[in-house]
Amino acid sequence: MSLSLPYFRNRRYLTGIDWIIGGLHSSARKSTGVGSFSQAILDVNGRLDDSIIRRSLDQISARLRIIHGRVARDWMNIAPYWKIPKAGTTTPIRLRVVDLPAGSHCDAEKALADHVNAPFESESQHLRVMLVRIGNEQSRLGLVFDHRLLDATGAEAFLQLIDETAQGRLEEFAGKMKQTEPAHLDHWLRRFSSGRRLNKLLYKLNEQDVCGLQIPPKGAARVKFVHDSLTPEETAAFSVRAGEEIGMPIILPSATARATLAMRTVFPETPLPGTQYMLSTSANARPQGQLWESFFFNQFSFLMFSVPKDAPNDMPTVAGMMRDQFFDQMRENIPAAMADAAVLWRIFPPWLVAALTRFLFKGRMCSLYFACLRETGFTGDTFLGLPATNIIHTPLAFSPPGLNLCMTYFGGRFNLVLSYLEGAMTDDEAKRMMTTFKASLVA
Amino acid sequence: MTTEAIEQQLNAEIEALVSLKKGSVNNATDLTVLGIDSLKFVSLVLAIEQRFGVNLMKVGLKPDDTKTTRNMAKVVERALAGPKS
Repeated sequence: MSLSLPYFRNRRYLTGIDWIIGGLHSSARKSTGVGSFSQAILDVNGRLDDSIIRRSLDQISARLRIIHGRVARDWMNIAPYWKIPKAGTTTPIRLRVVDLPAGSHCDAEKALADHVNAPFESESQHLRVMLVRIGNEQSRLGLVFDHRLLDATGAEAFLQLIDETAQGRLEEFAGKMKQTEPAHLDHWLRRFSSGRRLNKLLYKLNEQDVCGLQIPPKGAARVKFVHDSLTPEETAAFSVRAGEEIGMPIILPSATARATLAMRTVFPETPLPGTQYMLSTSANARPQGQLWESFFFNQFSFLMFSVPKDAPNDMPTVAGMMRDQFFDQMRENIPAAMADAAVLWRIFPPWLVAALTRFLFKGRMCSLYFACLRETGFTGDTFLGLPATNIIHTPLAFSPPGLNLCMTYFGGRFNLVLSYLEGAMTDDEAKRMMTTFKASLVA
Repeated sequence: MTTEAIEQQLNAEIEALVSLKKGSVNNATDLTVLGIDSLKFVSLVLAIEQRFGVNLMKVGLKPDDTKTTRNMAKVVERALAGPKS
């Protein structure tokens, strides 16, 4: 059964993971009226010149028409692909400039939160930029991106691309970017076998009810954010502690353990009762050293971890549970199996993928979504000649679960962001969860 | 199998994992600076287990054991000396 269906070699077919993201996008749109959008915010010391950014965006927009694409179906093999518009038919990437008086940091936060909470104007718009200048002291450049086009690392790299373009180096990077992908309509037996392996794990994980938040009724709920960050010293100390905790130099098990226990501390009894906390996390699949080649779309897969509700309140024990589940899933090659099997789901439209997933997981896919990015896609330390001080993210909370905890890395330190669907938890609960999480990272 | 042979195989495994040229990794290279993330690290441990037929988890790893291929080779030797997985 290695029959391979024909496809156009100059097209960018959507992968199974792209299709899962499409399902999450559909699900998020149902809850929030927006979609699976996210925002990467670059902080710069000094006042950025918006005309230079405008010029860079125009050049990128004309050179990389893929950023104006939309999902379409191939008439020949019905696989979904990214349809790229003809030259001269695209609209510019929107850039909004907001000038605030010195010290207006709260107003800047609000403007950027509003920026990510607004829908795009059409199915062909996937990027939007807002420059917030706070007096002459600081500039904040927010890039809202459709998660179907870029992942978080790709979005950070896009910010760098703006800078490289301003220095006349667009072609140097654009030329490397892969803009085609086979349809992957092949290896049917392997894909079905991957699907069976994946189902086995998912059924096992769902034998018990998952503790979850109550998602507000369908409507235009807003996503809110709580940010914090570790110092470089705290980041380094956490990495060492995590390594000692589980006996190997990796942080994911210890970080997921802390995220889960932080949720349990704030929600010992969740609105949707269950006997386990389940956490879904992304697993980086970007080839090492190929940031620009794999610039577009999503270069990750997923892992799932569970912790019994009555697990001991002991970090090394819970981190050890996470490590063992991590190894078990990697032995079963679950991230690859998910990517492999999800190719078959592309037959369904995204709204149906979302509906089937909700049905299979009884409306609670996991208790929270967690992501930990150890590397940044923005590798420079200046932007348009000014010192780049940080990049933070405001990801919209996938719903369910309506709660997203994310660790990103910049300048030797971890930034932490908790995103939550308004109504799924209170502002006070969100702040307490962030405080608890941070305290457990630095303890 | 000699320690040198184990080290060479580990170096090759790591070079393939992080897409480095042959000869880029030696037995003293600090692996923590190669940008091996959690997923790649676990893939590496599993690849080593498969190649040498050992269970490193059962041997009990400490963070220093995976800092260089020299240290890793010692763990593999320890595992090879013990019961096979």
